[in-house]
Amino acid sequence: MKTLVIASHNNSTLSPVTLAAVSAALKIGASFDIFVAGKGCATVAEEAAKIDGVSAVLVADHDALEYQAAENLAATLQANAEGYSHIVAPATSVMKDALPRLAALLGVGQISDITGVNGEAEFVRPIYAGNAIATVTSSDAVKVITVRTSAFDAAPTGAGTGAITAVDNAVDCGLSRVVSEEIAQSERPELASASIVVSGGRGVGSEENFALIEKLADRLNAALGASRAAVDAGFIGNDHQVGQTGKIVAPDLYVAVGISGAIQHLAGMQGSKVIVAINKDPDAPIYEVADYGLVGDLHDLVPELEAKLASVL
Amino acid sequence: MSQYHPPVLDAKFILDQLIGFDGLCEKLQLEDINIDLADAVLEEAGKLSSEVFAPLNWDTDQNPAQWADNSVTQSPGLKEAYQQFVDNGWSTLTAPEEFGGQNLPQVLGTAVSEMWQASNMAFALCPLLSIGSVEALLAHGSDELKALYLPRLIAGEWTGTMNLTEPGAGSDLAAVSTTATPDGDHYRIKGQKIFITWGDHQMTPNIVHLVLARLPDAPPGVKGISLFIVPKFVLDENGEPGERNDVYPISIEHKLGIHGSPTCTMAFGDNEGAIGYLVGEPHKGLPYMFTMMNHARQGVGVQGLGISDRAYQQAVQYARERVQGKNKDGSKKPIIEYPDVRRMLLTMRSGVEAMRALALEASAALDFAHADNNSKEKYARLELFTPIVKGWMTEFAQELTSLNIQVHGGMGYVEETGAAQHFRDARILPIYEGTTAIQALDLIGRKVLMDGGVALESLLSDMAATANELSASSNADAQAFGASFAQAVDKARAAKEWLLTNAPSEKELSQAVCFDMLMAMGYLCGGWMQGRTLLAVIALTDANDDVYGEEFLAKKRISAMYYSQCLLPRALHHFGVMVQNPQALYEFAVDQF
Amino acid sequence: MKILVPVKRVIDYNVKVRIKQDCSDVDLSNTKMSINPFCEIAVEEALRLKEAGTASEVIAVCIGPKIVKEQILAALAMGADRAIRIDVEEQPEPLVIARLLAKVAEQEDAGLIMMGKQAIDSDNNQVGQMLAGIMGRPQGTFASVVKIEGDEALVTREVDGGLQTVALKLPAIVTADLRLNEPRFTKLPDIMKAKRKPIAETTAADLGVEVTSTQQQLSVAAPATRQAGIKVASVDELVDKLKNEAKVI
Repeated sequence: MKTLVIASHNNSTLSPVTLAAVSAALKIGASFDIFVAGKGCATVAEEAAKIDGVSAVLVADHDALEYQAAENLAATLQANAEGYSHIVAPATSVMKDALPRLAALLGVGQISDITGVNGEAEFVRPIYAGNAIATVTSSDAVKVITVRTSAFDAAPTGAGTGAITAVDNAVDCGLSRVVSEEIAQSERPELASASIVVSGGRGVGSEENFALIEKLADRLNAALGASRAAVDAGFIGNDHQVGQTGKIVAPDLYVAVGISGAIQHLAGMQGSKVIVAINKDPDAPIYEVADYGLVGDLHDLVPELEAKLASVL
Repeated sequence: MSQYHPPVLDAKFILDQLIGFDGLCEKLQLEDINIDLADAVLEEAGKLSSEVFAPLNWDTDQNPAQWADNSVTQSPGLKEAYQQFVDNGWSTLTAPEEFGGQNLPQVLGTAVSEMWQASNMAFALCPLLSIGSVEALLAHGSDELKALYLPRLIAGEWTGTMNLTEPGAGSDLAAVSTTATPDGDHYRIKGQKIFITWGDHQMTPNIVHLVLARLPDAPPGVKGISLFIVPKFVLDENGEPGERNDVYPISIEHKLGIHGSPTCTMAFGDNEGAIGYLVGEPHKGLPYMFTMMNHARQGVGVQGLGISDRAYQQAVQYARERVQGKNKDGSKKPIIEYPDVRRMLLTMRSGVEAMRALALEASAALDFAHADNNSKEKYARLELFTPIVKGWMTEFAQELTSLNIQVHGGMGYVEETGAAQHFRDARILPIYEGTTAIQALDLIGRKVLMDGGVALESLLSDMAATANELSASSNADAQAFGASFAQAVDKARAAKEWLLTNAPSEKELSQAVCFDMLMAMGYLCGGWMQGRTLLAVIALTDANDDVYGEEFLAKKRISAMYYSQCLLPRALHHFGVMVQNPQALYEFAVDQF
Repeated sequence: MKILVPVKRVIDYNVKVRIKQDCSDVDLSNTKMSINPFCEIAVEEALRLKEAGTASEVIAVCIGPKIVKEQILAALAMGADRAIRIDVEEQPEPLVIARLLAKVAEQEDAGLIMMGKQAIDSDNNQVGQMLAGIMGRPQGTFASVVKIEGDEALVTREVDGGLQTVALKLPAIVTADLRLNEPRFTKLPDIMKAKRKPIAETTAADLGVEVTSTQQQLSVAAPATRQAGIKVASVDELVDKLKNEAKVI
């Protein structure tokens, strides 16, 4: 029994989400190798070799793997899959693209987006948009798995001494090519689909003061939201309104600033994973749904928060 | 303000289980039309109503239609919404195929109309009125007028209005004073009409006004009124809107509710005279209006249903979210856990379900009448239902939309929650298209006394049969329902006999008791529908139905039982007031007020 | 070019999920079912390609028992030209679905398979990729823009951190993301017409695919409920909690 963990990277650095996948691999219990597929990705392989407990790092360095396109990545992995009982990858867009294809090439099923490991063949994963949690088993000879990285801690790294081996069987299917990429857009994400939303309410006080909220939103790469009161007061356009009459959002993090928490507003955001409330009224109803409440003057707290986030993000 | 969940499953249940939709379609010789298709139609109408019209409802209220320079601009967003309505073919639903319609049964049109009305009543009035003008032209227009106007009205390219009321002619149309003077192949219309719903707007390139007016040789009173068609833009030789006609909105009303619906004062012929075309024969305008009345009046009843359901849905949502007081374990208690809040919610729910079933039963009566070659008996049933659907359902809607505010408490009295809007909007319903008093008089006079109670007795004997069926059931709920319903039917029969005996000799009697009779008949008809619902639910439960499911059937059962326990007794009360013939009403002299 | 659009019958996205008392699965009895929203987007995109003259025919494929006719009719009412139902009792695993679709795609000689990126019930996000793998064809997953140019499909994909545009040699598989388009409202006359459009029926056996299973769902549980919140004393504490406890930044 041996696990192959597929590294997530940008050809120069190893993405930390790889370590979450390693954690899942460790829970599965077998020893593990790391596979680095890319172009000019030697530094990634060196980083991967330092992950605690890694046996070997296999590196496929090839022009065809520059973008880790699913067609080529899956075929390359297929060519190197022999001997592994598990193939595990963080559920990034690259891996979600490639691993089901790999599974099909291997003639096995795939287990998507696991949040828990109960043994070498038993896994936990959310279904129905997280409204139910399923425990599943697989009897496939090779278990191909993607990992929801937020559900696993990063595995320790730094003490590993994995042997780096180049593989020369990378495959170029010649089926597709990347025309262009627009990564890290400066524009804010869309409200309804953003993973972080920063919203301002009547407490923000004026249209000018809303710049504070926008700055915080940009710092978090968050969408900009607002309560109905803020929209009615003319601080911001109504397309930003969160609530019963505006948009319903459920981001990973919702930061409500100067929002008292009218029921109509709560209806629009209480599905958020983590809610932070900043308000000067300690009895504001928003605190009843907030995971973290900070009481005080938002005109001081928001710039302070923005500055401190700048140093940690 | 509130989300709207279209009642697709309940409407399907009623169509399938109570109306017998498939059988009706067979009778109407509509091939390919069945309950599955109806379901798909309801589903799509539900989508458009909940996703496009409902979200505009609050904005429409807050941004009323605007009048300037003899022209009306509708609330923002409505033009686009109307375009979607038209593009998706919804204006063609029940219209005949000959003029581009889909020829679907009226009862399906009614089920769909409920969704438009519930999602945005002010907006939905516009297509509702267009249907009225389509009906008038279909029934009485010349082939030429039909060819010119019907395809465009049915496609929704143009909208239609009804111009009846004048400053001096409201409930009494005998006082209509607008004139029509022959002028070549057309007439020149002069006069002023008030309270003209959607009298002007910018959503379509033309508006077709149907106008009651008097010809120069007209006899006085109701027998001298003719019906004219007056387009906003006179059609050119190609049938396209050409020159601007001399008809203008000269003001709009500032109203309690339905702010999105422009209520216009229309000036006809202030300049050269508005060009109009006679519909049908001279002096027959009023009887023509009556042929449309069943549909128009039932349509308003359906508005009462729709808005009550919307209010109910909002009340439930709020009652689940609003927390007051604590449970023994210290956890906070949503107000829905308090029995009195549940009383209000269940009154709304059970009332809405009874109204929905009655609205569809009454609408299907029109289909059944058509299917049976307009047989006198079937038509009489339809005519009997119409004032009840209009009068009772719109009156009941006042209570139900008010209960929504009550559930909200203080939050309901402020505008922000939107609960008040439904209440304000609903307030017009017992007024327009014939006030409650007009409906009650219609019921007692034209529908009961005029035929010596024959149509009513036919309905009551159908009800008695349902009561028997319920009582004969082995199901305890059915037996209990059957007992109270049988009692109510007996009361109704006694009241009918009392009325037939005493009305001819007492001049003011029928006018004095008509309201109570109307309300009694409403609650009784609602009970009939709920009783039939219960029978259907029991049969489906016994058959382990998997179309509607246990949970749905359980809810229907309890809602029916609540009706028999808490709402049906209101029928007894109103019949009781009626036959008591309250003398104080006669005794209190006019100058004592 | 023919476009094949697989559509899946799933719980309506507005319906709250209930879990069976014995925790064996989600309770779908008498639940409102609809076309998977991502599949609906795929149908819309296929129709737009047809309306633009790029495609000649849009064929909906649905796998399931007779009841899935509801979703087939919905796809036909949206505008698909005809449909194929693959008759199976239970929903097969993604790999089997991909094998079934591969056979149909071969039979139909589809130039493009336009499908949803995932179904909102199982949330697997697998079938499109598996299908492409089985058929040896290029794949454009998580598409937010699709253009056909010559013998290539240009697909803009929503990837972590931004957008990536790939050129795929046709025939290809494209999976739709939410922002690809906004599906149309079905027109009333089209609902009426849908009943008269052809629906072909076939079986896994006819297609020569064995319906196997290697995965088993042992149990289903409700997610953990929200914990009562706390008040933090300072911005520093808040940042610390967000980073180390909630791990959302």
